[in-house]
Amino acid sequence: MTRQEIQKEVYRIFREEFEIEDPGPDDDLKDMHGFDSIDAIELFIELEKMLQISLDQEIKKEAMLHIRTVNQICDYVAQFLPEQEPSQPGTIRK
Amino acid sequence: MNRRVVITAAAAITPIGNTREQIVKSLANGTSGVKPLRDDELLSKYIHSRVYGTVDYPIEFDFDRKYRKTMGPVSFYACQVVKDLLSKAGLAQEFLSSGRLGVAFGSIHGSPSMQRNIYSTLLEENSTKTGSISAVDYLKSMVHTTAVNITKMFHITGRVLSSSTACTTSSQSVGFGYEMVKYGLQDAMICGGADEYDLTTVAVFDNLLAGSTAYNDRPHLTPRPFDADRDGLVVAEGAGAVLLEEYEFAKNRGADIIGEVIGFSCNNNGGDLILPNLEGITQVIRVGLENAGIGPESVDFVSAHATATKMGDVLEAQAIERVYGKSAPVTGLKSYIGHTMAACGIIETIFTLYMMETGFIAPTLHLDNIDPRCAGINHVRRLTESPIRTAAVQNFAFGGVNTSLIVKAFQA
Repeated sequence: MTRQEIQKEVYRIFREEFEIEDPGPDDDLKDMHGFDSIDAIELFIELEKMLQISLDQEIKKEAMLHIRTVNQICDYVAQFLPEQEPSQPGTIRK
Repeated sequence: MNRRVVITAAAAITPIGNTREQIVKSLANGTSGVKPLRDDELLSKYIHSRVYGTVDYPIEFDFDRKYRKTMGPVSFYACQVVKDLLSKAGLAQEFLSSGRLGVAFGSIHGSPSMQRNIYSTLLEENSTKTGSISAVDYLKSMVHTTAVNITKMFHITGRVLSSSTACTTSSQSVGFGYEMVKYGLQDAMICGGADEYDLTTVAVFDNLLAGSTAYNDRPHLTPRPFDADRDGLVVAEGAGAVLLEEYEFAKNRGADIIGEVIGFSCNNNGGDLILPNLEGITQVIRVGLENAGIGPESVDFVSAHATATKMGDVLEAQAIERVYGKSAPVTGLKSYIGHTMAACGIIETIFTLYMMETGFIAPTLHLDNIDPRCAGINHVRRLTESPIRTAAVQNFAFGGVNTSLIVKAFQA
């Protein structure tokens, strides 16, 4: 999954699940779009579906302290993806 | 402190309409809101009572997701009636968030449809994914979900009381809200109750052999309070809310006053949790009048709980006869809409206020042959043009809880 694909999927989740249309990648989601702690929990569920993994509770708690923007969400998702071959342009690498 | 408490707005969603005009018209025309029970994939095919007090008209719920995300169906009803209520009341937002406005609102058990979602997850074969229980499922389903979704949506910061005493839920809301304003704890209270469509409630009464079954092919002819051919209650859905305000506060802001609460009583039978109790009911009616400082001769309308069960109606009629004799006209308003459970007390209060304003008393529907055991009271059997000056609204609940609310036409 490329960074672009991750971002596209995150934007889809925001649009369909949270009714937040096209937030800026560095917008503070809480301050600018009313994205609250309940939404954050719901987002984890959506991300788990997307990644088909179950996230550890401690990882979630840590993420909730720091993640504020779409870009940060994409970075967070990227770390759970398997390493890709270098020949694939734009691929996320750890 | 002993302040006057007036009613300045009312709103309802009922099987016979959600506007004052529709409700008054249905009461005046004898229109029933009882329909065939909806089919669903759960229990409906096993249920004998195939009638339901149904809200089958479209309601445009226009709530942002930030509010919807914590609301089950019961909270949609609750927030919609309060939205309607506040649009009529014209209270300033500053007052809503002043801490001087509280909310007393409940349902019989939160949102059963949301609870079913949780249980179905747990019952899935080989399910170990408790993560599929949404973070908001509890907020949608909890017992006080209606009250706190109201406070959230309208930024209300005063007291919150969420009674959940089955069929006395909303009559307690009004009564306890009345006491909070009367004794100066709040200047105003939003009071009411709601219940969503829920087949498990129908199943409970079905299993208790208390649901109406003989009119499955003619839903509009049941329930039949006090009638010899009654055969049980009809479960229904709905919601209602009134705004109570301290009189001087309401007067100073120029509010329209549609009635006054002058008394309230609540007691318990202290025994059986299901069977009605003549002594308990009689006592709650008497104490309600004492609390209002009036005698039975002052009451010119009684809204009976009158669910149309075999035993409940008989004991209620006997209790009314003991206190009022044949002096007060009595109507069983559930004959129009069925039993809206947590909402019945508030809806019957609102129907009473509307009749008080309009100057008529609606009859008990389908009261063709009065059960001789219920004959000792003054049944209203036809539409009567008569002013209601003072009314008693009585409700009784599983758990042995009884309430009586005394409301009066407003006089400055």
